[in-house]
Amino acid sequence: MAGLAQSLGNGAMSNSIPEIENADLLLIFGYNGADSHPIVARRIIKAKEKGAKVIVVDPRITESVRIADLWLPLKGGTNMALVNACGNVLINEALYDKEYVSKYTEGLEEYKTAVAKYTPEYAETITGVKADDIRKAMREYAGAKNAMILYGMGVCQFSQAVDVVRGLASLVLLTGNLGRANVGIGPVRGQNNVQGTCDMGTLPDVFPGYQAVTDAKARRKFEKAWGVKLSGRIGYKLTEIPHLVLHKDKVKAYYIMGEDPVQSDPNAGEVREVLDKMELVIVQDIFMNKTALHADVILPATSWGEHEGVYSSADRGFQRFKKAVEPKGECKPDWQIICEIATAMGYEMKYKDTEEIWDEMRGLCPSFAGASYQRLDELGSIQWPCPTEEHTGTPYLYEGNQFSTPNGKGQLFACDWRPPLELADEEFPLSLSTVREVGHYSVRTMTGNCRALQQLADEPGYVQLSVEDAEELNIKDQELIRISSRRGSVMARALVTERVKKGATYMTYQWWIGACNELTSDHVDPITKTPEFKYCAVKVERIKDQAWAEQHVRDEYDKLRKQMGVNTLLSRDKE
Amino acid sequence: MNSFVVAAPNKCIGCRTCEVACVVAHSSKNMFTSTQREIEFNPRLSVIKTAAVSAPIQCRHCENAPCANACSEGCIVNTEGVIYINQRTCIGCKTCIVACPFGAIDMVSCSEDGEKKQQTGLKCDDSGKLCIKEKMVANKCDLCLGRQGGPACMEVCPTDALRIVNSDGIAGATREKRRRSVSGLSCYRVN
Repeated sequence: MAGLAQSLGNGAMSNSIPEIENADLLLIFGYNGADSHPIVARRIIKAKEKGAKVIVVDPRITESVRIADLWLPLKGGTNMALVNACGNVLINEALYDKEYVSKYTEGLEEYKTAVAKYTPEYAETITGVKADDIRKAMREYAGAKNAMILYGMGVCQFSQAVDVVRGLASLVLLTGNLGRANVGIGPVRGQNNVQGTCDMGTLPDVFPGYQAVTDAKARRKFEKAWGVKLSGRIGYKLTEIPHLVLHKDKVKAYYIMGEDPVQSDPNAGEVREVLDKMELVIVQDIFMNKTALHADVILPATSWGEHEGVYSSADRGFQRFKKAVEPKGECKPDWQIICEIATAMGYEMKYKDTEEIWDEMRGLCPSFAGASYQRLDELGSIQWPCPTEEHTGTPYLYEGNQFSTPNGKGQLFACDWRPPLELADEEFPLSLSTVREVGHYSVRTMTGNCRALQQLADEPGYVQLSVEDAEELNIKDQELIRISSRRGSVMARALVTERVKKGATYMTYQWWIGACNELTSDHVDPITKTPEFKYCAVKVERIKDQAWAEQHVRDEYDKLRKQMGVNTLLSRDKE
Repeated sequence: MNSFVVAAPNKCIGCRTCEVACVVAHSSKNMFTSTQREIEFNPRLSVIKTAAVSAPIQCRHCENAPCANACSEGCIVNTEGVIYINQRTCIGCKTCIVACPFGAIDMVSCSEDGEKKQQTGLKCDDSGKLCIKEKMVANKCDLCLGRQGGPACMEVCPTDALRIVNSDGIAGATREKRRRSVSGLSCYRVN
């Protein structure tokens, strides 16, 4: 979010997902569509079939790498060095669009200075990517009529994330790949409706519709609509909370909705300590999870099939969804729970239905104003900005190359590469990166309760490691192994694969037993405070007694299930 | 000629939706509404990922099927263009698994109407106590024999990576290839 907003003025995808199919070149950077978003991956395949060139930057062989025309297999944690080298080639080989750059961007001179030392040869020593491949990639990228960049968590989940996003945006600006269809830059979000929660102002610095809390005019508008005094101070970021609780004694209560930080946040041990130190923890979710084990109050919410609302897709599209079944038991839709809590706390909050809430929201957010329920039903989906009800939405941003930055110009940016904060050493010789796996969504609160998906892949989860490392450690595919970092140690199943390079390991973060966030580091990006999920140092050990290990995993799983009362839930289902 | 389903690796994204569709197509009960904790989950195709390829592997329905030739009980037969394992008479000898060159056959516990079947006579000896033994049988792709709309895996594939190869398709493709080959001969002269 933050990086793109600084470069172009807006943190969302500049273009639409369907446009992927019509691009002439796709530069896919740290994004594994096949495992994260199969539906987007389908568009990548279609683009390739229609003749698009595909260039993939990824340390691992992903499905996109398999179909790529060119693969830049960089070492984990070296993104910035590679992006700088890309800029260096565009400048030194005069591949950039001089007219576009002088008309619509600023910062070229500083940019040139910053990337000067990052020749492809120098970058090769850091990234391991061949200098000639970097040149080839940029010649292709600059030469394509319509080129699009897609990036994912392989960019965002490093401590140097914002810099890399601004660096990628600079490549787009240098080549003039903005302001029209089938080009641009697309951060493909980690989860469903991440875009939507940002749109609705769940970031600590904005109200709904990206209106800054520090903007007195915006504040007055919301104060008038809601009849309360609002703070103009920027709030805390999620990943700052542990420090504020443990060392500053600043935050006392935690209201967690639809999130399982013990499972999904780095350094789980510390997250548990934080929850236990808080005076009040409220968890609102659809099933029991690890975070709820530390809650004082659990509020049962409805699932996506039991309520209605609007989602925003990654490409800014609002889509209305409707209830399929009636909720069972005591659960209520999130909005009703919030209304009841607000009312109990002395602020009478009452709405007839979600449409009334939606209408209030769009009345306060000029860029969402036209997306009424009626228009959403008529058009199926509306991409913001949509200022009036006559407007049909905006498939791509920056028409006429007018950016949403304060002076309307795209901001070129480069800075020095910084290595990840924790590097492999003698004691912890391997790197660990957290990734996705296609059968399970996010922390598995939903898909872990789906029997078919459970069968596809189940506890304790997997550690992907290279054939070479497995051989060295005497580990066979599918054996249980122990993996440890400075922060913790867990058991998981070895997935020995040719797709992983020696020295690297990968885990998905949804497993209760093989919980990789017991291992990950809580180092964060200095600006967005996004944790460095994609890099920490670990060691892997063989377990001799496999029968004991298998039993241990089963016992641990049963213990957790009992603690959460999961069995009770199933027996109640039977009645 | 027998048909078979095969995947185009340049389209497969390894998502395993075909595996789930296979299980759903072969389940006697609706597993999405069933309240049983355990379900039969025996996909008859397996998605395999190597450095160069992602694709499901399933039965080729060989014309001279080595599995059928190896079966001592005559449980594997050719019916309606499908090499079919009769699980009722299968004795679980595993010879077909050894004989199959593709790795398309698995041993699975045998269920009928969602209930696990037991071996007819054989019992397990658990430290002197005789216990029931689950019936195990050979299992593989049957091209969704009898299913309206044909193989379920093809139907769900999000990238249309799976296709059925049958005699009509092969004949058409061969005609087309021959046409292309013959035009290549146009510059070929014999003096």
